[in-house]
Amino acid sequence: MSSPRPKVPSDRIFRRVLAFFLLVFAVLGLVVTMALRNLGRAQAASEWVNHTHAVRAEAADILSSLNAAEAALRTFLVTDDPRDQADYRVAFSDLAEHVDVAKALTRSAPDQYQQITQLEDLVAKRADLAREIIRVRQKGSPAELQSLLASDAGGVAVHEIARRVERFRAEQADLLNERDRISFLQAHTTRWTVLAGLVLDLLLLAGAAWLIRDDLRARQQAGDALREANEQLEARVQARTAELTAANQSLKAGALEDRWARQALEHQLRYNQLIIDSIAELAIVVTRMLNVSRINPAVERLTGWEAADMVDRPLGNFVELVAGPGAADPLARALKDGHDLQHQPATIADKSGRRHPLELSFFPLRDGNKVVGGVVTLRTRPPVV
Amino acid sequence: MPEPKHILIVDDEPSIREILCGALEMSGYRVSQAESPAAAKRIVAEGLPDLIITDLQLEYSDGLELISEIKVQHPNVPTLLLTGVWFDEKAIEERILKRVSSYIVKTAPLKTVLAEIGRLLAT
Repeated sequence: MSSPRPKVPSDRIFRRVLAFFLLVFAVLGLVVTMALRNLGRAQAASEWVNHTHAVRAEAADILSSLNAAEAALRTFLVTDDPRDQADYRVAFSDLAEHVDVAKALTRSAPDQYQQITQLEDLVAKRADLAREIIRVRQKGSPAELQSLLASDAGGVAVHEIARRVERFRAEQADLLNERDRISFLQAHTTRWTVLAGLVLDLLLLAGAAWLIRDDLRARQQAGDALREANEQLEARVQARTAELTAANQSLKAGALEDRWARQALEHQLRYNQLIIDSIAELAIVVTRMLNVSRINPAVERLTGWEAADMVDRPLGNFVELVAGPGAADPLARALKDGHDLQHQPATIADKSGRRHPLELSFFPLRDGNKVVGGVVTLRTRPPVV
Repeated sequence: MPEPKHILIVDDEPSIREILCGALEMSGYRVSQAESPAAAKRIVAEGLPDLIITDLQLEYSDGLELISEIKVQHPNVPTLLLTGVWFDEKAIEERILKRVSSYIVKTAPLKTVLAEIGRLLAT
């Protein structure tokens, strides 16, 4: 009888768990990639914002430098003080420098760069007008100066520059607002991406944990089944071993019994043989046909015949009962009737032909209720007193 | 675990001693062997066995004499005469069993011998 084979968990569970972990890593990789990309975008946006603020500041500086230069010019026109002329020059120099910086900052943005260059043209024209006014003022031609100032009545050029600068700054402010909105959306997307990835990974890890738990339970059940099968097998082995041991013990006991029986029989035969061989009387065993089948050593000692000389020969060849002529053979009759004879005179012939007078007794050998032979014993006849 | 019973086998035939010793050891007994009365008396002097099994016909003595000598000092030791000599029933009753605890002929089956040994050790 074979015990049920325990169910061993297959590699399918392992492959599933591996697939879950690969998915977890893939989601993590995707989230990290998106987060890094958004970080890069945020960094680029931050640089852009800083750059845009710098451009707006330069634009504001252009406007303030222009106002300062205009103020210094008008002061100089009123005072004609060389110190005020120096201030005016420094202001215009700062104005040109701010325009150059603004151009450098907007070089990568063609639209803005174009606006700055247009602004630069207007500033240059204003500077040319200012220089012309200074020249006329220094020449000492009030009518010409008055004409020049009248052409610039109300500061139309300055107002145009200021208007363009403000428009430029307003456009930059709109771009900053748009960038803020995009950055917010990116941060929002990043946050949701990370959250979604985290939730998905948690779900995948929960699935993997469920599979691992299922696998562990299956392994536990398989282990229990294997242990139970081993215990049953061990019990059967022990039972079988006990049976074999008992059978072996029985075989050994049987073998000992046989040896004991043979030994006892051989011992008994040898013991009986010793008893027969040791008696002084002659003993001759005969068959149902009165043929000799066995003699004892006393016969050999008296007659000189050996067993080989007498066995299977008629007893009458060696032993004769002393009986009257014509009398029936008493031995044959005793054998036939199954009775014994006691102290009958008889003779036995030795090997030299000499006959020895003896006293014969006969005892029939019985096998159950059948007479199968007899034992003839001969002893020296006691002397007649 | 109790100490196994100690049995002394006295027989001049090695094959008898060997077979009987094997059967008794299989049955869980501790067995000592002696081929002569002198050797048997030495073993008894070292420690009285729980049972003495002896043959009748021994060299220099006989089993009954040996048992008589041992019983001078140890009158209660159980003894079993295991011999090939067939005694007359009356002789067994009136003579043999007055000197030994039990008598079995060697032609008896081995399991009968073992059963008789078990009976003697149980009493």
